[in-house]
Amino acid sequence: MARMNEEGQWIVLMGLLVAVALFFLALIVNQSALVGQTTAEGVLEFPKNDIRDLRSAVFDYIDRYEVLQTHGHLGDVKTDIVEISLERKNAVVNFTVGEKRDVSGRQLHPVTIHYNNGVTEYDETVYY
Amino acid sequence: MVNDAGQLYTMEGVAAGLIMLLTAYIVISTTSIYTTGDTHIPDMQLEQLGSDVLAMMDTPDGDGDGRSRLTELIGAGKGEMLRNEFLANCNMRTEDPDDNLQAQVFLSYRRTDGSVNTTPLSSPSDPGFTGRENTVRVTRWVQLTGKPSGILDIRNNTGPYAVLVEVLLWRA
Repeated sequence: MARMNEEGQWIVLMGLLVAVALFFLALIVNQSALVGQTTAEGVLEFPKNDIRDLRSAVFDYIDRYEVLQTHGHLGDVKTDIVEISLERKNAVVNFTVGEKRDVSGRQLHPVTIHYNNGVTEYDETVYY
Repeated sequence: MVNDAGQLYTMEGVAAGLIMLLTAYIVISTTSIYTTGDTHIPDMQLEQLGSDVLAMMDTPDGDGDGRSRLTELIGAGKGEMLRNEFLANCNMRTEDPDDNLQAQVFLSYRRTDGSVNTTPLSSPSDPGFTGRENTVRVTRWVQLTGKPSGILDIRNNTGPYAVLVEVLLWRA
């Protein structure tokens, strides 16, 4: 008891270092699981496909703009898109299409697109 | 005969014990988070797959004013055929045997009175469908020049429509 021997101190010190290292590794593994979950949730929550689909629907609408205008169906098709979006996708959608104008030598429609589903809001102004 | 020469070792022992306890706690709480995180990732993948297949089917085969396969099938009211072709595209895998995904097709449109109606275009491809499957819903806008066959109460008799194709997709 009286004669303590301190020659093995570095072994004890290494043990302590290994324990601290393990502690941090466990912390990293713990965080990585959380990151995987929040990423997947974030991707599911962000309506990427809804917005892309809405854009392509608006551009399809503009492709047939002249035909629709001649027959007076512009408002009908637009109302379809706005009302079905609200009912089935819980998204407030609006878009406007202006008359063709000259943009760097090409005749294009000025288009605004608005999308809001309460979590994500998206606004776009584009010439098509 | 009490002697305090070993105090340092005691302190070390306590510190090491605390670190080990904390490590064990973090490792155990980690596994419980894994299960909740895991359920979201296959949903995300399934949704992306379904959206991609619908986008592909909505792409015309030729240049010009060609109609896409999706528009053709909706216009002709062939919901069962649409479901089967959609599933054939979803289940296709390189080299491996086909996947086992199931689907049901719905169509949303506006009625004459302005209300929105959703109607099934096909039956579920899985005869044992219970309604409790963990499904994802993928959608695609389709613009039709004429009245889709089989949809009687769509708003007016002629004229173009914008309708929403909705597909429920799940793994059986």
